[in-house]
Amino acid sequence: MNLILIPIVLPLVSAFALLCMSERTKYLKEVLAVGAALVSLLAAANIFLLPPTALSYSWLGSGISFTLKTDNLSAFLLLAVSLFSAAISVYSFSLPAKGPAKWFLFNLLMTQAFAAGVALADNMVAMLFFWEGLLVFLYTFIALSQPTHAAKRTAMKAFLINAVTDLCLLAGVVITGYIAGTFSMSEISHNKLTLDYSWSIFAYVLLLVGAVSKAGAFPFHTWIPDAATDSSAPFMAYVPAAIDKLLGIYFLTRASVYLFALDGKMQLVLMTLGAVTILVAVMMAFVQKDYKRLLSYHAVSQTGYMILGIGTLNPIGIAGGLFHMINNAVFKSCLFMTAGAVERQTGTNDLSKLGGLFRSMPVTGVCFLIAAVSISGIAPLNGFFSKELIYKGTLETGYKVFFLAAEIGSFLTLASFLKLGHAAFFGKRPENLKETKEAPFSMLLPMLALAGICAAFGFGARLPLEWFISPSLTALNIQHGVLSGFHPDKLYFISVIVILAAVINHMVGLSAGGGKACKASDHIHYAPVLKETYALAERRAFDLYEQTMDHAVPFASKLLYRADRFLDWATDTLPSGAAGFFSGAFSRFHNGSYPLYMALTLAGTVIYILLAASNGGLR
Amino acid sequence: MDLPIQMLTTAVAVPVFGAFLIPLAGRVSTTARNAFAVLLGLFTFVAAASLFSTVTGGETADYALSFPLGLDFILSADMLSVFMASISAFVSAIILIYSLDYISHYENQTEYYTMVVLFLGSMMGLVFSASLLWMYVFWEMTGFASWRLVGFFRSDRDVAKANKTILVTVFGALCMLIGIVMIYFDYGTLDLRALHGQSISYAAAALILTGILAKSATLPFSTWLPDAGVAPSTVTALLHAAVLVKIGVYAYARIFGVTFAAPDGFSNAVLYLAGASALVSAGAALIETDIKRIIAYSTVSQIAFIFLGLASGNRTAFAGALLYILMHSVAKGGLFLCAGIIEQNTHTKDINKMGGLFSSMPVTGTAFALCSLSVMGIPPFGGFFSKFLVFSGAAQNGSLPVLLMFLAGAVMTLLYLVRLFYKIFLGDPAGHKSPREGSYTMVASVMALALIGLALGALIYYPSAYTELLTANLGVNLQ
Repeated sequence: MNLILIPIVLPLVSAFALLCMSERTKYLKEVLAVGAALVSLLAAANIFLLPPTALSYSWLGSGISFTLKTDNLSAFLLLAVSLFSAAISVYSFSLPAKGPAKWFLFNLLMTQAFAAGVALADNMVAMLFFWEGLLVFLYTFIALSQPTHAAKRTAMKAFLINAVTDLCLLAGVVITGYIAGTFSMSEISHNKLTLDYSWSIFAYVLLLVGAVSKAGAFPFHTWIPDAATDSSAPFMAYVPAAIDKLLGIYFLTRASVYLFALDGKMQLVLMTLGAVTILVAVMMAFVQKDYKRLLSYHAVSQTGYMILGIGTLNPIGIAGGLFHMINNAVFKSCLFMTAGAVERQTGTNDLSKLGGLFRSMPVTGVCFLIAAVSISGIAPLNGFFSKELIYKGTLETGYKVFFLAAEIGSFLTLASFLKLGHAAFFGKRPENLKETKEAPFSMLLPMLALAGICAAFGFGARLPLEWFISPSLTALNIQHGVLSGFHPDKLYFISVIVILAAVINHMVGLSAGGGKACKASDHIHYAPVLKETYALAERRAFDLYEQTMDHAVPFASKLLYRADRFLDWATDTLPSGAAGFFSGAFSRFHNGSYPLYMALTLAGTVIYILLAASNGGLR
Repeated sequence: MDLPIQMLTTAVAVPVFGAFLIPLAGRVSTTARNAFAVLLGLFTFVAAASLFSTVTGGETADYALSFPLGLDFILSADMLSVFMASISAFVSAIILIYSLDYISHYENQTEYYTMVVLFLGSMMGLVFSASLLWMYVFWEMTGFASWRLVGFFRSDRDVAKANKTILVTVFGALCMLIGIVMIYFDYGTLDLRALHGQSISYAAAALILTGILAKSATLPFSTWLPDAGVAPSTVTALLHAAVLVKIGVYAYARIFGVTFAAPDGFSNAVLYLAGASALVSAGAALIETDIKRIIAYSTVSQIAFIFLGLASGNRTAFAGALLYILMHSVAKGGLFLCAGIIEQNTHTKDINKMGGLFSSMPVTGTAFALCSLSVMGIPPFGGFFSKFLVFSGAAQNGSLPVLLMFLAGAVMTLLYLVRLFYKIFLGDPAGHKSPREGSYTMVASVMALALIGLALGALIYYPSAYTELLTANLGVNLQ
């Protein structure tokens, strides 16, 4: 078999083999899943090292072929997807809280196969096929992770939000394909589309909606925090933290710089979307009191940085966006893994019930610290370098306001991780957690690996930039200079100021909250104006999905139903009523009276003669 | 006669005449009657499908019986008619197998089987007819059979709904007859092969369209279809999902797609009408609480997508619409049959009285979910490809309002199907006693349809290559 097909076909076949196994077999399913994921990872690494190749089959009629292509960006993405699949399959080995193991692993492998397909597809229809195909597994992943109704409801929410935006993507793809005359992305890139006329703007916006919704940006993010509480930690670490971000940002990049040549207006739209996502989500994250829910809002907020980076449209910003894409997946996935480990060992994710876990779970604690420092953008870990590139790119566009928004985001990110780390791993340990032990080795291993990547991509930031990001930019036909290098310049000092501000804020919050770390955000949470806003947000007043489902959909469908009832009246009640009326009226004349019949006949004859006479007489 | 021509004539004659032998077989024994009916269905399918090899080789099989005044009885098997006949006969055969258990609790079974097979036979006649007059004759025969079948239960309400069905469709058919007469006076023949590529007047086109819309339950004649949901679920699956409503669509493809060159303004009007139909019926599907009415409204809204493809005026859309017919027949047939299992085992059609059925009916639930996904157009199911091609064609057509209407229609399709699935299978159980799973043959039938939907997606190359070839060979006035 062709090497390119292995990362798609192997997980697919293994997933169906899993379904045939009994739920009672011990470790057989896990071993199969881990094996498939590792082999796929090796294949992906091999593909990455080989020069780009392509593979094509005739598929949907003659116009649309099934084309896979391993250019540098695709190969990089495939490697990332396979890495996270392998990490999660190892991580879930001895985690009971993931629903039925068989179905969990089935969903995992299917998601991997389809995500690999998205990464490799060159034809937009093939990409759409894999992209939309993920929907089914997104649903079953969440719905089966817990036996509660809330899980089913959240699964439906996730499914509907993504299905609707996937339809937008479908519409975008068909219009793009029609304007360009081909569905092949590499062919379109030779002759990029411009936003000169309304159809191409419409097409790009639809593609944008599909991409940012997959990445989980505002306002399509609202299922992610719900899933944090209603599904399992490995799901969160795998799909919303890693796979969705990778695919969404990947396609956003393709659409924005590879397929279309954007103009200044669209650049502003993208950067605004990024900044709004950063701020809205981080404000929500800051006040959360649940470990996973807090992380989930950060998963949204970090997407904003990537969109902001891509939206700058300059090489530095795009490089920052792509670098942040992989960095975020690494540390966010690692953070969700620590959440899963804490949940497994203590039975809760509620910050008010946790505390002082560092001594009993030192490895988890260290991993958490590394990942938290990374996500907060503190030098010299990987998050610092990618954020620095994004800041530079933003400043280069001249719009300082977006830079400011990004820095405020950084401040709140660090503040909320101070709160989270303090509440979970430090401070006083509650009585019932005295016996807590460290998580099993199979969970620690992937956590350590990801934390190691955080450190390696930080201290050796040149390596990933030269190996992954720079070739990706080349694959996107972007000319660029040297990307790496640590400079103690103004940006670095601003980041130091942000760190100090966050620490001071934490101190203030602590003293205001009576020394309890989980209340360290209350001074902002319950500040005037903000308090009411947060209360509204808790009631889901800003949740586009809930508002639409509660108000817009019932209203529109009632209106349409009225139209339907009217048509029913017009085709059923009205004709039968009319027929009844006329037959009733005519039957009144048919009463058997001879004089009446004669009178009617005579009257009819007279009318006929008059009519005939007025038309020229009888002839 | 050649073998293909024999197959063509038997595909029509065997079910039409065989239907009248079913009462005789019923005299022998119930088993004999049931076996005979299923055999007739299977035989029809085999006969129709055997013609594939002929038509893909680029030939047609024709059979003619001459009548005076140019009103010959002509059967012709080309790519379009064989495609349509095979789908109809296949779904009908599955429905007959499913009926064995489903219908066994009711009275008038002999009439039921007779009418189903007669319906199948008239459908074959309609599809293979290459003369507008004989198409009309078979058209009315299907109407008659569906009238008896919708009124299968004999309460006043059922009979009233059955009368509504036939009155609306016959009204449309009579309008169509006037249109056909106008064509006859214009060209002196009703042989579709001779009329290939001719132009058609607006008046005749509008009259024929009235008949098509009435039969295919499209705005403004859509409401008879949900009302006909009083019939047994097998009947609704056969008539209202898979076969009968496709007659109108087929006639549109046959008359305006591969025979006459439809005027542009006419096609545009059809697009807007279909868009409105998609939206209105989807809205109704979100309000209704009767499981079968919801699925019926869903049919109305999906039929509109087929019209979108057929009327968009380009090859991509036309081929997509034909694929849509295939995917929708399979998936929607499956949904109605699932509804039959649910209805029979819960003794209600109200989705508010269901809830949480997945735990006691897992196979039905899975089949229902898979069929719904295909109707929604989610990959890797076959429905994805047909929806994609239809949208692709609509984009080429270049009308933004139409595209937006159908995008909204597709979104609403997602909403009502997810709502339906959630209300029936998930959610809180509403006071039922965890009904049993359906019988083996019934569950196997629905699962077969669901898996075929999946297989059609995996092997999309073959059906799409077929419809593309069909469009290239037969299409008239397509971009």
